[in-house]
Amino acid sequence: MPIEVRHVSRTFGEWTALRDVSLTVNQGELVTLLGPSGSGKTTLLRIIAGLEEPDPNPESLVAIGGADISRQKPDERRVGFVFQHYALFRHMSVFENIAFGLRVRPKKVRPLEKEIRRRVGELLELIQLGRWANQYPSQLSGGQRQRVALARALAIEPSVLLLDEPFGALDARVRQELRRWLRTLHARIPVTSVLVTHDQEEALEVADRIAIMNAGRIEQFSTPDEVFHHPASAFVVKFLGNVNLFHGRVEAGKAVIGGQAVDSSRALPSDGGAARVFVRPHELDIDIHRLPGAAVRARVLRIQSAGPMVRVELTPADDESVRAEDTINVDLTHERYRDLAMRVGDAVFVRVRDSRVFVEDYSI
Amino acid sequence: MRLVVILVAVAFVALLVLLPVIAVFTEALRKGFALYVASITEHDALSAVKLTLETAAISVAANLVFGIAASWAIAKFEFPGKSILISLIDLPFAVSPVISGLVFVLLFGAQGIFGRWLLDRNIQIVFAEPGVILATIFVTFPFIARELIPLMQEQGVEEEEAAVLLGASAWQTFRRVTLPNIRWALLYGVVLCNARAMGEFGAVSVVSGHIRGRTNTLPLHVEILYNEYNFSAAFAVASLLTLLAVVTLIVKTLLEWKTRRGHSTPVEDVYAD
Repeated sequence: MPIEVRHVSRTFGEWTALRDVSLTVNQGELVTLLGPSGSGKTTLLRIIAGLEEPDPNPESLVAIGGADISRQKPDERRVGFVFQHYALFRHMSVFENIAFGLRVRPKKVRPLEKEIRRRVGELLELIQLGRWANQYPSQLSGGQRQRVALARALAIEPSVLLLDEPFGALDARVRQELRRWLRTLHARIPVTSVLVTHDQEEALEVADRIAIMNAGRIEQFSTPDEVFHHPASAFVVKFLGNVNLFHGRVEAGKAVIGGQAVDSSRALPSDGGAARVFVRPHELDIDIHRLPGAAVRARVLRIQSAGPMVRVELTPADDESVRAEDTINVDLTHERYRDLAMRVGDAVFVRVRDSRVFVEDYSI
Repeated sequence: MRLVVILVAVAFVALLVLLPVIAVFTEALRKGFALYVASITEHDALSAVKLTLETAAISVAANLVFGIAASWAIAKFEFPGKSILISLIDLPFAVSPVISGLVFVLLFGAQGIFGRWLLDRNIQIVFAEPGVILATIFVTFPFIARELIPLMQEQGVEEEEAAVLLGASAWQTFRRVTLPNIRWALLYGVVLCNARAMGEFGAVSVVSGHIRGRTNTLPLHVEILYNEYNFSAAFAVASLLTLLAVVTLIVKTLLEWKTRRGHSTPVEDVYAD
């Protein structure tokens, strides 16, 4: 069922976790809430589940399937919730964990024992843990436990599925496996889902849409492709992976760094002003000689060629006014790296091939 | 070196623990088994046993409710005055039991704050069974709460949250999730609480009034018999309390073993966040 959150704020004493957040998740969609810790993403998820209450405000609304559920207790909302640390019932077997939500139903709506066994059996098949039905959570690996937690949440046929950093406690390999598995699962059982994560790679891979959160606000809410290629703010660029920052100016509708106009993927105001130019490592190129568009003189500090790309670290020359951070990271293809034949200590030129420019806002 | 340390420890235990225990039983049986049986089945002794059992049963029941409620509140919720509550729970450990007893006399005695009011309604607390029970509850109330608070804090609230989100009511959550998770620690607390309730002397001594056959608990009865130079009877009754101690010790050891097992969570469960 679709989820709608409108004008929700949440303060904890002095601390503001959410500032007037609104969010709509469509039927069957998988949305991730992505942000650093303290950005409010988990609070938002817990408010949807009913584990936290929003600050009182006549305009605020939390609705699932079109019905306002703000006044419903968490046990009445029928949401599936998956915790980072699984929160499996440690004294119950895998089978009983999954059956829990069915067993606690009032007598009138509780399925018969036979029906419970059938449903749990199906879910055990789904998570491929049929053989582990009688084991206890402590006997399972982290990945297996999280699959049990997911099956337990799905057992109540939830209206929506909420996942709070579900893979955060797992090692990288298992995390990737489970991500794919979750995607496949979601294709099979398209329950409206919200997944909280601080891992941008995970968000980009799993989500239909990503809400990027910062300091209690949603900075951008769009498809992975859109947020990556057309970020709405400097924060979004920085958060979505490695990026180089240059300080420049806007002149005649183009960002200029080091006297050179650079290409940017978005229209700029024509008047001058300070600009922050964000360039991802793969959007930079290196030249041995000064070519048109070469913006920054720099010296090669380190070359790391083990990997799909060659990563080159450079320091801008001392007289360059553009430096914003200590080092510039450039990712080159192995082919390009061979052509350049450069070595550590060489003086080279860095050229910007594409960038995202944000004009500094002094109106504050 | 190792031998010396072990010997010292064993010698101490033998001298200070084992020897007195043996002495209790030899003294109790010195004048024959018939007298032993007579001493513990005589009217005053039986009424002391009855009062002790009643007091222990009521104190344990009261502290079971209080202990679970207090540790639940402290471990799972944030509320103003929480740290004060935690300190207050420890109060009976910090105060001499005699003073605790005295406080009840000052509150409910004939000259006490509520003395007049109680007298008018013909309710007797001090120098009667209610006083003995009240004093015992006061002295024993940290035992269960103290056992549960650290365990419940460590277990956190996620399992309960998961249960509630799966549709469980508050009672179902407690019955099916919280209680099974704390059962061994709870039993351990009950055993300790019970042992102290049966063995309490100081506080009870002040409020009981030492009325034979009516307000004497087992420890008080032992004292009276001893003061009357009725050593065999005193030791016979004392042997009952000693037996209780031995049983408590065995149950406690079993429970410690159980809690440690039920408690141990795999290493992957602990993450720095």
